[in-house]
Amino acid sequence: MFLRIVADSFGRRPRHKLLTGAALALGMGVATAALSVSLDVGDRLAKEFRSLGANLIVTPQADSLPLEIGGVDYRPVNAGAYLPEADLPKLKTIFWRHNIVGFSPILEVPVEAWSPASKTSFSPSAFGNATLIGAWAKHTVAIPDGSTYVSGVEKTNPWWNVEGKWFDDGSRQCVMGINLSKRFGVKIGDDLNVSAEDHSHWITMRVVGLVSSGGPEDESVIAPLTVAQELADKPGQYRKLYVSALTKPEDAFARRDPKTMTPVEFDRWYCTPYISAIALQISEELKGTDVRVIRRVAEGEGQILTRVRLLLWFVTGAALLAAALAVGASSAASVIERRTEIGLMKALGAGSGTVGFLLAAEQLLLAFVGGGVGYALGIILARLLGEKIFGAAPEPSLIVFFVIIALAAIVTILGSAYPLHRASRIEPAPILRGE
Amino acid sequence: MADRRATNRAMFWRIIRRLLGANRGRLFVMMLALGAGAAVTAALLNLQVDAKRRLTGEFRSFGANVLVLPKGGGSTASADATLDESILNRIPVSSEENPVTASAHLFVLGDVSTSPAGEYQRVVIAGMHAVVADDMMAAKAGPPAPFAQRCIVGRQVADQMHFKLGDRMILRGMNSQESCQVIEIRATGSAEDSQVVPHLDVVQRLAGLPHRISLIQVTVAGNARRVDQYITELQQQLPEVDVRPIRQFTEGEAKIYNRISGLLTATVGIVLLLTGLCVMAAMTNVAMERRNDVGLMKAIGGSMRRVLRLFLAEAALLGLAGGIIGAAVGIFLSIGLGKAVFGVAAQPRLIVYPVAVALTVIVAILSAFPLRRLASIRPASVFRGEA
Repeated sequence: MFLRIVADSFGRRPRHKLLTGAALALGMGVATAALSVSLDVGDRLAKEFRSLGANLIVTPQADSLPLEIGGVDYRPVNAGAYLPEADLPKLKTIFWRHNIVGFSPILEVPVEAWSPASKTSFSPSAFGNATLIGAWAKHTVAIPDGSTYVSGVEKTNPWWNVEGKWFDDGSRQCVMGINLSKRFGVKIGDDLNVSAEDHSHWITMRVVGLVSSGGPEDESVIAPLTVAQELADKPGQYRKLYVSALTKPEDAFARRDPKTMTPVEFDRWYCTPYISAIALQISEELKGTDVRVIRRVAEGEGQILTRVRLLLWFVTGAALLAAALAVGASSAASVIERRTEIGLMKALGAGSGTVGFLLAAEQLLLAFVGGGVGYALGIILARLLGEKIFGAAPEPSLIVFFVIIALAAIVTILGSAYPLHRASRIEPAPILRGE
Repeated sequence: MADRRATNRAMFWRIIRRLLGANRGRLFVMMLALGAGAAVTAALLNLQVDAKRRLTGEFRSFGANVLVLPKGGGSTASADATLDESILNRIPVSSEENPVTASAHLFVLGDVSTSPAGEYQRVVIAGMHAVVADDMMAAKAGPPAPFAQRCIVGRQVADQMHFKLGDRMILRGMNSQESCQVIEIRATGSAEDSQVVPHLDVVQRLAGLPHRISLIQVTVAGNARRVDQYITELQQQLPEVDVRPIRQFTEGEAKIYNRISGLLTATVGIVLLLTGLCVMAAMTNVAMERRNDVGLMKAIGGSMRRVLRLFLAEAALLGLAGGIIGAAVGIFLSIGLGKAVFGVAAQPRLIVYPVAVALTVIVAILSAFPLRRLASIRPASVFRGEA
């Protein structure tokens, strides 16, 4: 009988049910879309922030102080310490290895450069000192677990714009700073000779691209790491390493000193992708290194990410609120309008409890259907939004589904609660008389 | 004739009053739906405008994004080329209401030590003078000491030479010897880690370069277009120097700003659209309950046009009231949201509120429109309780 009444109510007034259902579905659609986007946005934005480049720098612990002014190092040539290139694959074995999106070792060598492309090979038109930056462009690293990984300055320094192309790692090719190339009159395809300052030997390289960065790189030559190692006579070594890692914005907990944490807290800290935790894990893998956080990048990123995420949560909250109120209003309306029916049921001997239960069941059924449709609608919207903005759709999440269904149920029940309460006090006689 | 019209109008308003007052529950429900819609519309529109502006301000946390360098001195500071100090004062301090901060730097190589007779270590000494630096140094002021005699020490320098806060540091340059007190040990992960940063005057004396500086770092808030424009303007004002963006940050900021502002616009747009639809669905539901009223009016001789006009007027009134209440709530909502997210209340934009109210009225009228379908209603069947 109970089911029959419910089914009958749906069958008899399809338009009302449809409208209440539509309000529900739309409201829950908003909620789903906003929730999905908010849940997903942190990760997506964190990836966007990697366009700022590396946020960690690794240098030898025993290094002497760099005396660098405007990209030129004034240290004596053989001062300072170096790190072994062979250790680098270990970076992809740390706990947060998947969060490391790129790394590139750097070895800078002061060189004398001249261009044989000038008028005569005996009197080169341009000759001068420059810094040769040895780096990886797109180096394939063999990782201990058997897979390979491609990384290089393209990932750690994405603002280095190259006209032409990057050099092939291990080849005799180079990319020249735009200002230096102008000064030297060198074009893409020309040859460039470089020799270490002690003139022990020189290397001819083909210029395959021109780099412009707005920084000291505009005045230097970027070449494969192997070339720099040969010139500096430091085979298999590098001097600094840039690492670009996806991190979680630092909070109060992340800023605590790990040494003062209890073991449980330390585990939690270690297993959270805070930049400080990733730095510690890297220094554990690469012995004898000093891993420093590039504060300028990391802090700016954290601050903006936190703000944007908070902002979106509030927008989501506002959307949920509006949806909830509209849905609540709609379900309240559908109860208010059924006074006559309630009066009739009571006149036929139904108790207030039974009537309330019946109406609540009807509303709940509507909530589940409306919520489900709304969820589907919201997911499509979230996909569109995600693809439009980030070029990737957020994954549909089961949590969102349950949250939405629960929300739909709560909102409809709350919306109908007051009218139901009033309805339970309805005297059947005046209602049936039409008063 | 005029008399009849006046009576008609009086009757019209009387019916409207009755319609509104007849069922308080329904009135409340409608106001709730409309008010919620209007509040969210007002708050989100306001926040959206404000948030974009604030976000560009947030990008200042990345620090300097423009460099002023000696002409032809390459793309960064070189040890040889210098600028005159007076250029710092010629940099405009604001760019379209966004504050601009600038700091002058002079980089020289020098030797530092913990005591005059001690062992000296060669480091880069980066003299600095800026409004920001002054504030920072003033805030960190411990025991009173002349301002110019404090310096910030990079972490690597401090580690190698065992400097602690409050220690005395001897600086030796080509020309003279100076001393300062260590007031901060700074770890930035950049070149500053291996530098000593005293006040600019100290370094100028050390290097024997009075009133000379290596470069000026400028922090300009604003979106990419704004920063580009600022660079062009500054270059025109100061033809004797090179003005260039620090591309790592200007490019990154532009990309991220576009994403965030796109995200915000899209989310707010979709939320507003769906909120409108949602309110409309709820309202239509309520409106459809009016078939009895429509039937009665038709039975006593109301033409469909007049009946519809009555209901539309009622909806518009409701929309107006709900919209005004909602917009008022929206003001507080957006102030609260602004405070929670950016720590500063969002400035109310007056244009937002009329827009929110107008939108609410439109939604209310649109949602009453399906009553047209009741034109086909036959009064008799309504009264028999059918349909």
